[in-house]
Amino acid sequence: MAADYVSPFDERVREPEPIAPRPASIDGRRVVLLDIRKNRGAEFLDRIETLLRAEGAATARSAKEIFSKPAALGLIDEIAGRADLVVEALAD
Amino acid sequence: MTGSQHGRAGERLAAPPLTVRGPGAGEVTIAGLTVGGCALLLFVSEECPTSAMALRRLGPLCRAWEEAGLTSTAVFEDPLEVAVRVARRLGWAGGVASEDPPYETSHAYRLVSVPTAVLVDRAGTVAASVTGWDHQALAALIGRAEALLGAELPVPEAIEPLLKPGCSSKAAIDPELAAAMSAPAGTDDIEEMFERGWTDGLPVVPPTQERVEAMLGGCDGRISLGLVPPDMGEATLERVAACAVLAGCRPAYFPVVVAAAQAALDPAFNLHGQAVTTQPAGQLVVVNGPVREAIGLNSGMGALGPGFRPNLTIGRALRLLVTLTGGGMPGKLDRSTQGQMGKVGFCVAEDEEVSPWEPLHVERGFQPGQSVVTLIGCDAPLSISDHRSRTPEDLAWVLAWAAASQWSTNWWPLEEPSVFVICPEHAEMFRAAGWTKQQLRRFIFEAVHKPARELRRGETTPFVHAADPAAQVPKWASPEAIVLIVAGGEAGRYSAVLGPCTGMGYQIVSREVGSGWPLTM
Repeated sequence: MAADYVSPFDERVREPEPIAPRPASIDGRRVVLLDIRKNRGAEFLDRIETLLRAEGAATARSAKEIFSKPAALGLIDEIAGRADLVVEALAD
Repeated sequence: MTGSQHGRAGERLAAPPLTVRGPGAGEVTIAGLTVGGCALLLFVSEECPTSAMALRRLGPLCRAWEEAGLTSTAVFEDPLEVAVRVARRLGWAGGVASEDPPYETSHAYRLVSVPTAVLVDRAGTVAASVTGWDHQALAALIGRAEALLGAELPVPEAIEPLLKPGCSSKAAIDPELAAAMSAPAGTDDIEEMFERGWTDGLPVVPPTQERVEAMLGGCDGRISLGLVPPDMGEATLERVAACAVLAGCRPAYFPVVVAAAQAALDPAFNLHGQAVTTQPAGQLVVVNGPVREAIGLNSGMGALGPGFRPNLTIGRALRLLVTLTGGGMPGKLDRSTQGQMGKVGFCVAEDEEVSPWEPLHVERGFQPGQSVVTLIGCDAPLSISDHRSRTPEDLAWVLAWAAASQWSTNWWPLEEPSVFVICPEHAEMFRAAGWTKQQLRRFIFEAVHKPARELRRGETTPFVHAADPAAQVPKWASPEAIVLIVAGGEAGRYSAVLGPCTGMGYQIVSREVGSGWPLTM
């Protein structure tokens, strides 16, 4: 007997998010450095920020509430409104 | 699904002969079924959920019908052994018959879908028929039988869904396809679950339509409890029920599983972080209240271990929801470095009757008579042996310092909760000394302090680094991070402490079991 099962999966097909186009240069670009608040992430961002500024980028810092939760939609909107590029530091 | 009668108004069709087999030696015939009055033929199919619903709802009425002169027979478009098994499982108290391909009887009765109910009068003519589940039309059909018999007949209770379409009759589909559907699948259904990836690595119970429907009880499977992190699959009640079936739950456990899922999906619980972390933590389900006894949860001997179906399957159902519906599969989105067996599922019932204290759910604002689940992110339990303490202070000190190396030896203070599961003999020592729960919690908190300088070795917290070297640092940020419950066998002085899931910024979440049950739209 061919059984008819109820799937535990959400079978809806979701389109993958397209990757944003990469800029040819970061000179003059606004870059937000997003700290997820994981241990030593800020140190990594400090170094990246120095390198980005040397390349002519205008940098600003932002941070998530806590590393273990997704970024709040309000924060994402706020960053999108003031940045051309984002660098997110992950874990220690 | 609309009720209809065979033939045009006024036309009386002779009920076609039956080409079926019954479980007994005798032949099943229209004449035989109508000898005492009228006959109800209920055409059904094993894989049709509406058929299952019809059998479950009409089955309990069969005996009363029989006494009033209405025989009822479920005619399955399935092998006889399947028919008998399904009828028994669904509580069908009437007769059972089976027809084989090419389903001559279904053809003769012009079936389009199942279930189809056909009323045959004592003259052997079709008096009425109803296709699908249509409560109003079925009540009218039973009314027609009452008129024919001159006797009162019970009708099924008017509960949702009142209307539910059936499934295609095998007589209405291509004969070769029907034969193929009836052929043995050639695969082991348990192995098929592994092939589909519907497993946590252990064998599961295949979530057939019938089992899922039984798990749902009267709940509407379309209801959504929300999106399950990390992959944000939608937790419809149907999928939650499928996970409960896979886990091996009985339908009686489903309200507890649903309450656990509701608690886990509360944003305050931060399931997203817990599901993907490199930590080993799983989700501990603590159950309080009358539901413990009602479904046979074990809070006694071996309360944290194997041997008891509700304990093992409720926690597993929640974890299957996270891993399958939520996509938090170990090695994929679940990045736990080592994991731990509590991630298979971990459900503990508190022994409120043995405990000298108010149970966890009462501490959290519920009434003693309410059934409640409480979700806590927890590492594996560490057993603490203490058979020789003779004062509550000594015992509390042993329990407290056993927990001192939780998470990491020098990682003080812990923000997230540790759960102490106090065994009955230890609980009795505190009871005899008149210690309240708050006293024990305060003692444990106060007992475990160290000067910051002793914690500055290897990994430690920014708090310790910033503290004066002589400052006393507590193991827990506050006494509230110490959760106390009572469970275990009456003999043996082993309590346990479950380490925290740290860095989650989460809160313990409780939900009442069975609130608004059954859940309908």
